[in-house]
Amino acid sequence: MIDPRMLVDQAQAAPLPAPVWFIELFKVLGFTLHAVPMNLWYAGLLIALWLRLRGGKGDSHHLPEQRDGCCAQTRIASFFARQFGDRLLRQMPVIIAVGVNLGIVPLLFIQLAYSKFFYPATILMAWFWFGIIMLLIPAYYGVYTYVWGLRNGGRMAKWRVAVGWCAAIFFIAIGFTFANGLSLVEHVSRWPSLWLGHNVAGATLGTALNVGDPTLWPRWLLMFGFALGTTAVWAVFDAQWFARDAVGDDYRRWAWSFARKLYTVSMLWTAAAGSWYVFGTWADDLRRTMLDWPLLPLTVATAIAPGACWVLVLIGGSLQARRLGTAVLAIGQLGVLGINAVSRQVVQNLDQRPYLDVTTQAVDVQWGPLLMFLLTFVIGLAVVVWMIAQVRKYNT
Amino acid sequence: MHYPWWYVPYLTAPMLIAVISVLHVLVSHYAVGGGLFLAVEVRHAYRTGDRAYLDYLHGHAGFFILLTVVFGAITGVGIWWTIGLTSPLATEVLIRTFVFGWATEWVFFVVEIAAAFIFYYYWGRLPEKTHTTMGWIYAAAAWISLVLITGITAFMLNSGGWATQPGEQTFWAAFFNPQFLPQTVARTGGALLLSSLYVYLHASLTAKDARLRNMIAARSARPALLGAVLITVGGIAWYCFLPPSATATLQSAAVLNVLVALIFALTIVVFFLIYLGPYRNPGWLSPGFAGSLCLFGIAAFSTGEFIRESIRKPFIVHNVVLANQIAPHEVMKLRQNGFLQSGIWTRAFVAERCPTAVVDNQIDASKLAPRDRLALGETLFLYHCNDCHAGTLGYSAAGPLLKGRPRDQVRAMVERLDDNYFMPPWSGTPEEARIISDYLMTINPARPAGPRHFMKTEGSAEEDTE
Ligand code: HEC
Ligand code: HEM
Repeated sequence: MIDPRMLVDQAQAAPLPAPVWFIELFKVLGFTLHAVPMNLWYAGLLIALWLRLRGGKGDSHHLPEQRDGCCAQTRIASFFARQFGDRLLRQMPVIIAVGVNLGIVPLLFIQLAYSKFFYPATILMAWFWFGIIMLLIPAYYGVYTYVWGLRNGGRMAKWRVAVGWCAAIFFIAIGFTFANGLSLVEHVSRWPSLWLGHNVAGATLGTALNVGDPTLWPRWLLMFGFALGTTAVWAVFDAQWFARDAVGDDYRRWAWSFARKLYTVSMLWTAAAGSWYVFGTWADDLRRTMLDWPLLPLTVATAIAPGACWVLVLIGGSLQARRLGTAVLAIGQLGVLGINAVSRQVVQNLDQRPYLDVTTQAVDVQWGPLLMFLLTFVIGLAVVVWMIAQVRKYNT
Repeated sequence: MHYPWWYVPYLTAPMLIAVISVLHVLVSHYAVGGGLFLAVEVRHAYRTGDRAYLDYLHGHAGFFILLTVVFGAITGVGIWWTIGLTSPLATEVLIRTFVFGWATEWVFFVVEIAAAFIFYYYWGRLPEKTHTTMGWIYAAAAWISLVLITGITAFMLNSGGWATQPGEQTFWAAFFNPQFLPQTVARTGGALLLSSLYVYLHASLTAKDARLRNMIAARSARPALLGAVLITVGGIAWYCFLPPSATATLQSAAVLNVLVALIFALTIVVFFLIYLGPYRNPGWLSPGFAGSLCLFGIAAFSTGEFIRESIRKPFIVHNVVLANQIAPHEVMKLRQNGFLQSGIWTRAFVAERCPTAVVDNQIDASKLAPRDRLALGETLFLYHCNDCHAGTLGYSAAGPLLKGRPRDQVRAMVERLDDNYFMPPWSGTPEEARIISDYLMTINPARPAGPRHFMKTEGSAEEDTE
């Protein structure tokens, strides 16, 4: 079989316009921010659909009458569950718009510094990679279709429900394709067999998937586990920050208990997937490097982050924390995603280094354009903040 | 040669870009012009206190969001997806040159999205002035993103002195290329015209009230006519600032000539229809009329986009990257060291398929088994030609184009590929030219009997028996 080192081009088409650390910073930052909304459509959409399904057929604007003890309790709980499902679904179109937009940031920067890995990997699985776009358009419209159904009270045509579920499944499939792509970007050693198994005369057919890579499965599950946690945090954050008068204190209490349960699942899930990933699939020297100085603190912090955030959820729940508390929790979850993004970048770099050390690429910093970008960024942010302030001012 | 080549049967991989980008421009220009339409018209409706018009505009804004934020945005990302898959080297060079242009454009996307959602979802809940301001913020951000992306697409068509003059390889020299202004003007015009056509179609279908329909028809005729004028002015400037390679392509390709004529014809038709219809006789605005207008506009736009993609030949990025994923300065090196042995993936393929045929890092053809020889011929074809030609059947298929030429002529043509200035220079050794010719002969259709049947003289053999 071909030596995979043969397949990584060492020639540089042009110098990098910014230092590698700058590119990595924006890549990791962009991915962290992409992950938040992505988590909400990855696991959140599925959960919202399920909660609505389980929550019965009633109208989601009126609380069921309280009659007798425990039965009423569960009915009220499922009413709130349904209400949360409604809220999240109604927010979903905006969440998707934001998340897709934030995905562009790591997409730009991964192509900048990691072109020699990114292009070959995605070309080997070209039809699937291209399929992401082909699935995303119907999935996105599917979400709109479902959300329109929410407009007329609670009655929802069956076909709309079916379309909603299809959308959720499409998003799972897209996430799986991403996990395939990114694991292939990282594992050059997988390229020769995938290429030779799917080629005509040396041109790739673009029909390969990286399913033979043992890291793929825990990697995929790991992100889904995080997505459960982000959805849990969103439930309480939304209840405190965005729901305002639309919900009462009972709902907020329900949100905390829901978050507690869901985050516990998430924490156990990520612990299992993470252990499988690190101890079951990593190469020995990668594990040794990650579990040795100076990377040990990072690895440990990444491993315990979901646990720490879970403790925050428990504390928040017992205090029935309000705005400040849920904000702290949201920042905590952002930290979980952020530190995971940093670690996966470090692991990716370690895996790729034997083939090409991206930090040795020639750099010719484009100071003017860089400043233009940073300046526009600040101004753009200010404009967005101003717009949101207007909305808040007139919408109390 | 730096990256693996993706073989897409019949269509050829780059045609996927053409498909996606045509779909994208049809919506993205509306995203710009439609934003302007909403800002201007909402202000007008507030000023005149026209409730019915405001209601119509609210509905239109919903339609607008649904089309631009979903389909427009995702097909835009889709272009990224496909150019990376089918033209990785070009994408790599472009992104290393323009990343901060794109990053800046991304900031405007963020502003656009925020403004669009606030404009639509907080309709009726903001003071009139604030609401209108949101519309204007959207429109301004959308237009600036058009300007930014145009600098980059224009560079692909004419890179000016960027690649040839020392010291010119800067972002700004690349961005302010000779095609920048013409294309910005033409695209701005396109945005105005196309969005008016969409407004007509939407209004003819949804605005029940005749007064409203007539008003919309009349008010949107002005930007449409202005748009047509800008397209014409920009189009003429576009033609004047084409690089010689593109002018030559445009003039000599019969199909492209027809298409350019078609665009002008369609633009003129649309111009007069708008003048006679919405401008002079607003009452004409029926779904049939608006639908035909829209179809004409869409046809003109798609044709324009198709031409834009076609006339860059033999380049993908003018003077920087050739259509077959080679930088022009690499050609001589490839001729010397061999195309197969210089390419990352082709070399690996040779090493896997016929390792014994490689002597001193060169392919020794005498050591190739016939089957391997044909396989390598196909490799050469796919990596050197498949960007522009399908094999036996499909988009500009090479087989039929060979037209039954005999082998020595095929080889001569391959070795002097760029005698036809649509095509990049041949970038392999003479030996490789023989190898690819052998493969080409297998897809070269058999010559039909034709007149030669009558021309046989006593004792003369068939000319092109191999
Ligand atoms: C930049 C894109 C491009 C590449 C790469 C390219 N061609 Fe072409 N080729 C063209 C175009 C455009 C035409 C004109 C087609 C037409 O008139 O329909 C053409 C014409 C031809 C013709 C017909 C020429 C004639 O005079 O009858 C043949 C044969 C041909 N190409 C073979 C090849 C082969 C073999 C390769 C690879 C070694 C190749 N081409 C690479 C774009 C390309
Ligand atoms: C079209 C818009 C999108 C863009 C531009 C985008 C971009 C990206 C990029 C660049 C990465 C890699 C980040 C890195 O490694 O630094 C990534 C990761 C990921 N994206 Fe997105 N994304 C988009 C939409 C989606 C959608 C619709 C999903 C659906 C679930 C999704 C799920 C994921 C997942 C699961 C990962 C992590 C994959 C892994 O490493 O295992 N993304 N995205």
